[in-house]
Formats: sequence, C-alpha cells, structure tokens
Amino acid sequence: MSDTLERLATAVVEGNVDSMEELAQEALDEGLSAQEILNDGLMGGMNHVGKEFKAGNMFVPEVLRSAKAMKEAMKLLEPMLAAGEAQATGKILLGTVKGDLHDIGKNLVGMMCEGAGFDVRDLGTDVEPDQFLSAIKEFEPDIVGMSALLTTTMRAMGDTIKAIEEAGLRDQVKVMIGGAPVTQRFADDIGADGYAANAASASDLAKEFVGAA
Amino acid sequence: MRTNYRVNSGVRFRMLTDDQLQELFDGVLHVLENTGLEVHHEESRQILQEAGAWVDGTRVRVPSWLVKESLRKAPRSFTVYARDGNREHNIHIGPGRAHFGPGPTCPNFIDVETLERRPYIKDDVSIVATVVDALPNIDFCESLGSVDDVHADLSALYEFAHMFPNTSKPIVAWSFDKYDSEGIHQIALAEAGGQEAFEQRPNYIHYCEPLSPLISTFEALDKLVFAARKRVPLVFTPCAIAGGTAPITAAGIITQGVAESWMGLTIAQAIQPGLPFIMGGVLSVMDMNAMVFSYGAPELSLMMAGVTELAHFAGLPLWQTGGCTDSKTFDEQAMIEGSMSVYFSALTGGDLCHDVGYTESAMTGSVFQLAAMDEAIGYARRITRGIDVNEDTLATEAIHNVGPNGHYLREPHTRRHYKTEFWYPNLCDRRNFDEWDTMGRKTMKDRTIERVRDILASHEPAPLKEGTETLIQSVLEEAEDRVQQDWWQEREIAD
Repeated sequence: MSDTLERLATAVVEGNVDSMEELAQEALDEGLSAQEILNDGLMGGMNHVGKEFKAGNMFVPEVLRSAKAMKEAMKLLEPMLAAGEAQATGKILLGTVKGDLHDIGKNLVGMMCEGAGFDVRDLGTDVEPDQFLSAIKEFEPDIVGMSALLTTTMRAMGDTIKAIEEAGLRDQVKVMIGGAPVTQRFADDIGADGYAANAASASDLAKEFVGAA
Repeated sequence: MRTNYRVNSGVRFRMLTDDQLQELFDGVLHVLENTGLEVHHEESRQILQEAGAWVDGTRVRVPSWLVKESLRKAPRSFTVYARDGNREHNIHIGPGRAHFGPGPTCPNFIDVETLERRPYIKDDVSIVATVVDALPNIDFCESLGSVDDVHADLSALYEFAHMFPNTSKPIVAWSFDKYDSEGIHQIALAEAGGQEAFEQRPNYIHYCEPLSPLISTFEALDKLVFAARKRVPLVFTPCAIAGGTAPITAAGIITQGVAESWMGLTIAQAIQPGLPFIMGGVLSVMDMNAMVFSYGAPELSLMMAGVTELAHFAGLPLWQTGGCTDSKTFDEQAMIEGSMSVYFSALTGGDLCHDVGYTESAMTGSVFQLAAMDEAIGYARRITRGIDVNEDTLATEAIHNVGPNGHYLREPHTRRHYKTEFWYPNLCDRRNFDEWDTMGRKTMKDRTIERVRDILASHEPAPLKEGTETLIQSVLEEAEDRVQQDWWQEREIAD
C-alpha cells in the first residue's frame, strides 16, 4: 500500500476530519484513482475501526468521528467515481416504525452503516408503511431497516413488510429489523430477512446482505 | 468568575464527628499513658526512655505530650516512587487519595492453571507481581502468600526478590526479621542508586506487625528500628481481633489498635524525625461461631472507617483493608464481601488499602479475587469521584443545539466528555443476551480467569537496572549460606 493510502487510513482511524481533503488530494496527485483511494485507503481505515469497536477498544463517538472523516474525503472523491463503479457499499433506508418515536438505536445503526460505506437515508420516527413504500420506489435501497422500542409498536414492522409485499417491492430489498424487544424469532415470524441485536452487528448484517462482508 | 462558591470534589462520606474522634483520640492517649505496652526490645525501651517515656521492666508507658510530639513530626503527605521512574506507578499519599494492593502471608494459593488450592510457592510471587503491575486499579504490591518451597527463614527475602523484578509499582515489604529487612533494603538500594538517592525517592515501604493485645514484639521492633534508621517509609499495623485479642466494641478495638500502632510511631519518630509512618491496623471481628478472624464482616468496614477517620484526625495516613473475603472460592459471597469493603474503603479515603485478593479469611491468596476486585475498585473510584457541576457540564448549550427529537451522539460536548465522564468496565458484561450467548455464555469468573491468563501471557513489567539482578542473586546466595550456619539457628533475642 502506498504511504499516502496508509496515512489516509490512519487519518480515518484517528478521526482526523480536518486533514482528509488534503490527504485525498495528495493521493490523487500521486495518480491514484478515486476508487483505489476509497477501497484501499478509506475503507481500510473504517474496517480497522469496526474491528477495534467490536473488541471494545474504540467507542461510539470515535467511530462517528471516523465516519465523518471518511465523508470529508468522499466530498472530493464522489464526483470522480464513475456511475456504475461501486461508489457506496450499498443503499440503506431506515425508519422507526409507525407509532414509535424512539430513535437513538436506529440513529446508531444509520451512523454505523454510513461508517461502513453505505449510503443511508433515514426517514425518522413514526414512519407509516406508505412512507416506506414511496421511499423504496424513489431511493431504490438494497436494504430496508426498521426499528421499534415498544412491544406495542413492534407489530407495525410486520404491517410494513406486508405492505412492501403487496406493493410488489419485496424482492427488491432485504429487510432487517432491530430494537430492544426484537428477537430473531420475531424476525422470522414476520418474514424479515434478518435481525441484528445492536448497531455494530446491524452494519455487519447489512454488509452481508450486499455481499460486502 | 465564581466567588464564595463551595464545591464537593467527589462523594462525601464521614462516619464520626470531631467530638467522637477527639474522644477516641483521648482514649488512645489514656491507654498509652496509663496502661502502656509490653515492649520486648531493649534498644527500643532505651530510645523510648530517652525520649521521655516511663519504663518499668518491659512495660512502657508513654506520656500524652510525647505521643502528640511524635504525631507532629510524622508527615501526612509523601510520595513512594516507582523503581523505574514511571510516574503513573508512583503513589502520592495525602488527603482524599485511596490506594489499593494485595496483602501478604497467606499459606495457600489458588493455582492459576488448575484453579485448585495448594501451598504458596516461589513461582507464585512473580505471578502476583506481574498481575499487580498490569491491573490499572492496583497501586502497590504485596505477594498474597508466604513462600513454602524455600528455607522457612528466607521466605520473605525470596518474596521480595521475586516481586521486585516483576512490578515497578511500589512494594510493601513484609519480613520475618531484621536480616530479611537488610537483604530487601540492599536490593532496593541497588535499583534506587544508593542510600541517599533512596531517601529522596523511596521505592518501597516496610511492613511491621505488633501483637495484640498491647505487645510490641522483638521482631516487629527490630525491623522498625532498622527501617527507621534507613529512612524506609513504615507501616506499623496490629491485626486485632474484636472479642478475642481486643475489646468486642468497635470503639474499643480502635482505641487499643491505635495505641499499639502509636507505640511504633513514637519509637520511629524518636529515631528518625519526619519518617513517613503509615498507621494500622487491620481490625475485624472474631466470628463467635466459626472462630475465624473475619475478612468479610461488615464490622471490618466499619472499624476500618473509624480508624481511618481517627488517623486523618491525628494527621497520619492509614493502612486500610478491603477486597478480601471469607469465601473459599470465587463466588457470590466473595464478590459481595470484596466489593462492599473496597467501596467503603474508597469512600473513607483510607490511604493504602491492602489485603485485596485474600480469600478463606486470609488463608488463601487468589489473583482471581484480586483481578475481580480491580474491577470493583474501578467501579468504586468512579462513584467516589462524584460529578462536576459547572457551565460546561450543565451542557445548556448542547441541550439547545440538539433540541427536541435530536440526539447527542455527534455533539462535540459528547466527544469531549465520553472518555472521562463514564467508567468502562473490563470484566463486567453489558452485551445483550444474544451476543453473550454467542460468545460462550461466559460468567464473571470465566472472564476473570481469562483476563489473568492474558496478563500472564502478554504483560511485560519494566526491566530492572543493569546489575540489580546480579545483586539479587548474590543477596539470596549469601542468605542461603547464612541459614546453613549454626549461629543462625541459635541466634538470641535481646529481649
């Protein structure tokens, strides 16, 4: 790996937001392609962050800082990534389902997925099935992630999956769900493709879904 | 700018009022002046007599003015230094600072591999010292045992010789007699760079133990006199048993125990004015059914709190006790007893809290108990650190920025504080059920065993200076030669 790519990876790990653009420019000046910089520099750094976080050596604010650092570099690189080139790991649509206003867990999932290179759109809280449907049509995500904190609102996840099926969109997306009362069994019952117990494993699951794990 | 604004730094705890402490203080002076102690050491009796004490045969009574003068000479605050100059391993003794470490002299040890209880051997010393060196909340080292597989007279020397290379945290050195103490001191001097350098930056503390009730034994004083002359910071701590070798009441055992410790103080300050002196002792109950000195009794914590407050009232640091248990194994009882006593000890700010890692009422040392208590101490330290209240911590600006429906994860305020505001466990498990399940359903005990074994497989204590290792070998060889000679067996005690 070139020295600059290594420095980019390190800057991501350290969450060095201010130096990212300059480092990315340096890498471009050396003749590296935007794709190389993304794959070998930035993602290398984020993979390291993911491992350290899992091992308990990094903490959420640090992971978010790293994700932000990566985004800074992406500002410069994104226009150069040709359409068709895998510019993002994948696209994820997120929302807390109807009737539920709890969103800290879902926000964490969003941020972790962004950190893993996903393009994330967050519909917020109390999201009606219809809102999910129109966003799927418009944003064309690979994955739909839903969350609920309450046992009373959990079942709205099932309703939303049913609505996606009825709209004929079920084959286009993988559905993953989460939230404190949610279990693998519940996910199986309502026909979700996967369940993750926390934000880090949600991002791992998402990567698995798009074949990036 | 704030003005006339009062702050509590940390959690406030106080058990006794000034009036109660004055009453205890006067009680101690009364015992020393009226009852006195048996002092089985001729030279010490001479020193005491010259200083103004009344000597009648072996019985010595100390006038109040002399005790007070000795208290005045002894420092409340001082530093004991890491042998390798690592500032993080220095111990600053002073108000509001609680330190923790293991205790000495258990006959048995929980084997690190088999987890079975067996006699304590030489190799265990380096295991304990290495674990002490690695654990973040353990500040000083004792060995958790008396070495069984060397000549009985040399076990304390071997103990120090094997602790010293394996931790740079200050050692509290226990010994049988002056001969051990001399060997120990030689080793410490080699590393410190001579007597003068040692006096400026002492790298170990010497531990002496008088006998209850009211006896200053020959060995305790012989060691004390040696340490005082060499200006080694000194712990002088009786281990009184309420209802057995001391009054059954907490106030009574405190009064007697402190009188026993202050006899040592008086001798030490007469020899070496200003010698750092850490007052004892270890006070607990004799269980009237099991007939053991209980290391897990709630009264231990209460008595230790009382004696800590009295020490601080008198201007001395205290040799505390906690993190120990009467349980025979790593179980719920061990965790309750150990955690409650370290928490209480942290609250009192008892200066050096030892016996962390004792199980089976001090019959068996356990590095697993020690490692689990490292976690409990971290927990206790987070509580006793308390909370800061100021413009920044009120976070009104962050609250305003985030507003309703937002979150704080990306806030610079969160980033600035998350490392210091929260305590992060090493052993306590906070994962969700599925993750815990996936990772093998490990219990606290499993995780503690893993942590200890990880430390032993990977931790490398700071090396000794060149030459110290050779000196240690020659000190041990000389001592081995000495114990072979007849005079050693027949040496007389100059009572």
